[in-house]
Amino acid sequence: MFKNNDDIKRCKRCILSENFPRIKFDSNGVCNFCNNELLHITEDEDIDKSRDEVINLLNKNKGQAEYDAIVCYSGGKDSTYTLKLAVEKYKLKVLSFTLDNGFISPVAFSNIEKVVSELGIDQITYRPSYKFMKGLFRISSLDNIYNPKTLTRISANCNSCISIVNNMALKMAMEKNIPFILAGFTLGQIPSSTIFYQNNYEFLAESRKPILDKFKAELGSDVSKHLEISQELIKKSKGYPYNINLLCLEDITEDEIVEQILPLGWVKPKDVDGCSTNCRINSFNNYVHIKKFGYSPYELELSHLIRKNLLTRDEALKKLFDQPQEQIDFVKAELRIDDSMLEKY
Amino acid sequence: MNTEVLTKEGIQVDLLDFLCRQFYVDIEDIALDRSLVDTGIIDSMGLIEIASYIKKRYAYTVTNEEMNRDNFGSVIKIVDFISRIKEG
Ligand SMILES: [Zn+2]
Repeated sequence: MFKNNDDIKRCKRCILSENFPRIKFDSNGVCNFCNNELLHITEDEDIDKSRDEVINLLNKNKGQAEYDAIVCYSGGKDSTYTLKLAVEKYKLKVLSFTLDNGFISPVAFSNIEKVVSELGIDQITYRPSYKFMKGLFRISSLDNIYNPKTLTRISANCNSCISIVNNMALKMAMEKNIPFILAGFTLGQIPSSTIFYQNNYEFLAESRKPILDKFKAELGSDVSKHLEISQELIKKSKGYPYNINLLCLEDITEDEIVEQILPLGWVKPKDVDGCSTNCRINSFNNYVHIKKFGYSPYELELSHLIRKNLLTRDEALKKLFDQPQEQIDFVKAELRIDDSMLEKY
Repeated sequence: MNTEVLTKEGIQVDLLDFLCRQFYVDIEDIALDRSLVDTGIIDSMGLIEIASYIKKRYAYTVTNEEMNRDNFGSVIKIVDFISRIKEG
């Protein structure tokens, strides 16, 4: 069994724990990630290059369809700021798209309403049945559906939820020939090599077929509806849209982001944990991840922010440990999961 | 762009070093003749990361059509693909 998260050995500079894959500490207790032995630090040159390429790409493709971009909008602070950037800085005609996963904070929904009204943009909310979402989360929590090596910076439940977001955004973009899909991921959450990329559904579908097969075995044909794109649509669509994470191109702290979005009417929800500003299943997801792997899926991201001087180590630890028990218990009850079902991977 | 003449061995050593660092795996974890996705080293986003590595290291932009199992189905196939684009 893993030790409690509170008395775990961590890097003295960042917050990566002794259970993180491939971690080693030097004689000062500083990890090999901080000592730049692994490729995690984003080179500023790379970002500058991506920025130029993104601007070119946007200029070349905008103004040709009903919308220039679908923005995957969770109501959290990062995607709120991404929406603001898309509309105000990049002058894009956007369609805001929200997946209601059944666990979104009511305050996040009211934030979505206020922000899209304030920015004057169209909004679509997609809500799979609560039964389906609970089933998806239950399987993702219990069945070790993803390979652990692909879960270093994301929990299994977040991965499943984001797969629906990505799939539905891609489907809509292809139906409407929208050239861009924008998401609010930040560096630390994703590697710099994925700031922007062109979608390739066939390859995606092939690589995750075993995962979808496991979901289908328990959840039936709804899986296809929410997580797959038909061959007809692929045939008739005019090529794949690009995914762009605009926030990665900005040099901005979390406090500055909040300051920028407050005038839109955005309010920080109180019923979420230290690592989320919209989702009430997050604490549970982290809890499961720590039980299985011994480290939090947020360690890599928060450590990145510390190294970039965007967050202090103490602030990061505070976020990491702000995991309200009542939320974990609420989700456990909703999904009918107890601790005895959650075993070390 | 790196102009040195690269052997397949050189391309492979460089690729394996990248994979180990980027995906936090040990070299022993990587089966050279099997799919990196099937063996759980990467997911579909990992393929995007490898394409980005090829772009940065060899100044070649992989097209959507080239993103297939024949070219990306294993380390050996990726090395062959890189050596083909280097010649081409
Ligand atoms: Zn460290």
